[in-house]
Amino acid sequence: MFVPHSELDLKKMFDELKINSLDDLFTHIPDALLLENGLDLPESLSELESIDYFDDIAARNKSDLVCFAGGGHYDVYLPQTVKSLTMRPEFMTSYTPYQAEISQGILQVLFEFQSLVCDLTDMELANASLYDGATSIAEAISVAINKTKRDGVVISSGINPNSKEVINTLIDRNKFNLHYVDLENYLFPSNFEFDESQAAFVVSYPHYEGSCQDLTSLVERAKEKGLVTICYVDPSMLGVLTTPGQMGFDIIVAEGQSLGSPLSFGGPTVGWFATKKEFARLVPGRLIGESRDKDGNKSYVMTLRAREQDIRREKASSNICTNQTLNAIGSAIHLSWLGPEGIFEMGYHAIQKANYMRKQLIKNGYVIPNDDSSLREFLLEVKTDAAEVINKMGDRGFLAGILYDEKHILVAVTEKRKKVEIDNYIVSLMEADNG
Amino acid sequence: MVSGGNASSLPLVGGKPEPTIKELSSPGRRASKFPKLDVPEVKINHESLKKEKARLPEVSEHDLVMHYSRLAHRNFAVDLGFYPLGSCTMKYNPRFADSIASDSRFANMHPSMPEEFTQGCLKVYYEIGNYLCEITGMDDASFQPPAGASGELTGLLIIKKYLEVNNKNHKTEIIVPDSAHGTNPASARMAGFKVVEVETDSRGMVNIEKLKEIVNENTAGLMLTNPNTGGLFEEEILTISQIIHNAGGLLYYDGANLNAIVGASRPGDMGFDIVHSNLHKTFATPHGGGGPGSGPVAVKSFLREYLPGPIAENKDRRYNWHQPENSIGRMHGYHGNFLVTLRALVYMKLLGKEGLDKLGAYAVLNARYLSSKVSQTIPLAYDEPCMHEFVASVKDLKKSHKIKAYDVGKALLDKGFHSPTIYFPLIVEEALMFEPTETQSKETLDDLAETLKFIVDDLQKEDTVLEDYPKNLPVGRPNELIPAKYLTVNWGDFELLEITE
Repeated sequence: MFVPHSELDLKKMFDELKINSLDDLFTHIPDALLLENGLDLPESLSELESIDYFDDIAARNKSDLVCFAGGGHYDVYLPQTVKSLTMRPEFMTSYTPYQAEISQGILQVLFEFQSLVCDLTDMELANASLYDGATSIAEAISVAINKTKRDGVVISSGINPNSKEVINTLIDRNKFNLHYVDLENYLFPSNFEFDESQAAFVVSYPHYEGSCQDLTSLVERAKEKGLVTICYVDPSMLGVLTTPGQMGFDIIVAEGQSLGSPLSFGGPTVGWFATKKEFARLVPGRLIGESRDKDGNKSYVMTLRAREQDIRREKASSNICTNQTLNAIGSAIHLSWLGPEGIFEMGYHAIQKANYMRKQLIKNGYVIPNDDSSLREFLLEVKTDAAEVINKMGDRGFLAGILYDEKHILVAVTEKRKKVEIDNYIVSLMEADNG
Repeated sequence: MVSGGNASSLPLVGGKPEPTIKELSSPGRRASKFPKLDVPEVKINHESLKKEKARLPEVSEHDLVMHYSRLAHRNFAVDLGFYPLGSCTMKYNPRFADSIASDSRFANMHPSMPEEFTQGCLKVYYEIGNYLCEITGMDDASFQPPAGASGELTGLLIIKKYLEVNNKNHKTEIIVPDSAHGTNPASARMAGFKVVEVETDSRGMVNIEKLKEIVNENTAGLMLTNPNTGGLFEEEILTISQIIHNAGGLLYYDGANLNAIVGASRPGDMGFDIVHSNLHKTFATPHGGGGPGSGPVAVKSFLREYLPGPIAENKDRRYNWHQPENSIGRMHGYHGNFLVTLRALVYMKLLGKEGLDKLGAYAVLNARYLSSKVSQTIPLAYDEPCMHEFVASVKDLKKSHKIKAYDVGKALLDKGFHSPTIYFPLIVEEALMFEPTETQSKETLDDLAETLKFIVDDLQKEDTVLEDYPKNLPVGRPNELIPAKYLTVNWGDFELLEITE
């Protein structure tokens, strides 16, 4: 399938090659390595049959739940412009823009993506994206280690637990000391003492549990000791939150799903990476620059390629050779669609609705341990087993949130949630969470 | 007149540059609209809230759609023309897979849902795992790695962990052919190994004698593609795997060139212990302009418990996540690039046994045919039957007319073709690497060969200025020094430069 050759074509091609069959192509391969009867796989399906096959699989997902889960991936409204423009085949089916003259479209969108990320976070330089939020944190830590030549890393425990696992995989713990610092009352201890053996300070903004704090003075104190300060930010809240750049961070990384990508069961999404120009030569991944051709026409081109693996081989600082271009394009289009007012409303409605939800929960006898410091996401203390509650809420049409521990569910509210959904959630919760 | 590629009719009209979205911005415009706030609005005081609005462009929806559509028009793509791009497998991406991946019952699934709610997603991983293991001759697979390079790193971390668990920490050397992809040595170094290169012999294959000299008790493993980056099948692969295994090392298969052998031969049968595949190459998921990809890793059963987890299992007709006991840990925040994986499964279902059995053969047929035609203009690097790709060299043209591989590639752009891969593998001077894939027609292959002949003649003319190519595109060759030197990577940077210089 998808092979265009007719019998006539095959005959002409075989004649050119002086062979009689496809098998003759492989006479140089040792017989022991050739598959005699081909692969043990089912017969092909037509598109029509495949529709049924995949319909059956899709129907096994509980896909109609009203989503109150977050943790980095948020059920925000994804506008049709993003969906249809990212499906354009010129974006979707093109290769990495190494050949600049026939890739100005992708190059310019990525340049705009980089610039939009910088404007939104108040940074100077962003790359053309990384795999996802979790791997971006690990890449940022590598940059800090390379920059400072130190071996300690201070990491807030208030980051997504899966991200911790990714960091633990990608940063060699035999060489580097990862020091996870527990939050106190859901906030990073403001009196934490940094020292000069430490390469990086990594903190989530807001924290995984949803609490948020001004990190300016912590950043200042970490920098006094020469640490590279890294902020993992929820970018969809930057219409209302003070930016990481304003707080003085050196590097910001983000899970960019909520700007331009559907939830996608976690992938593909996009990792954002922005920093200051002094870090330019340590930045992982691709970078697009603006230039001119010999006639003075504006042109974009991949730049600082000498850092990349295909040129530096084992000396490269990172082995990354793809980014998540299509999702980065989605981010650029979504941000342009939102504009300053849209991204403000997106964040403002989310925190208003989350605030309403917390107050209603409290009114109905529930405890929200981080009610004071949280914004759009918060911990809900349940009375029975949290995993059980999530299951029972599923039967009632809700994805109640993310299992945090036996007693707590992490609940996220986006601008998309309606008052009636929140009210019904609480009614259902009181049924489901009833020993 | 050579007709050029089938993309030579493209409306890639030159003329004016497209402004940036920021230049199109005008205060007060907007595209977005949200429902009215339906909860009672209260004053929220929080130290993290700011007063000012974010700095984002203000554009109408029509302006936005026109802008990004015009930019799309300034880009080449598989749906427009031919990419004879060696090592990249730029085959047709079935439209049908897009429709399945857009189904909200897949696309809108939150990744933190309990497994009871996501039986469909788990089944996708389970089913494609079976396909991939049968195709590669392996036993178990993890789909966490979001790209090929990540798959490579995964494979190396598995080797490392395996050696650690088995108290073989002295094994620190990974052998990589000098023709390998740059990601191979970079990944090996990232995993903490020392990289040892093995030479390629005059036929273009691993030099067995040199390999024997390099292998010793410190050998942790070998990374290899087969066919190799010269497009040649390593005929001595069984000997190679014996040498490595006898030294207690593991064999890692880089799936970059898997397309050549699908249905014909399997890495698992050649002695490989670990295989990473690129779903965006072999299994036809769109490249997206440079991602998202997917680089699943499949292993022999003795390495199953080292895979990045969780991995999908099927017990009593129910799917569940299994966390491998000695897992190297997560390579991705969630389950890898799920929608890419789903697309690849769609492709495998559409091809089925009949299609997959012949996949490699047709890919090789097209490459062998194209190599026969191209060799009439440009000499090939190796006098061996090629697999799915082949390498030609213009080193003689460089000597006689200063025509470099780069110039040939740029001139091809004018004719509606993407350039082949150039300067790779590094061991071939002025290399042009062609990979037609199985989805291009005989006419297109003929057309490329004729166009190359035309170009090579044209570039040799006395009045040729090589730097002028390409001539018919929206822009000529960009000055690569300016952004590298002045870091013009954010809007406004370039204008600032013009003011200060």
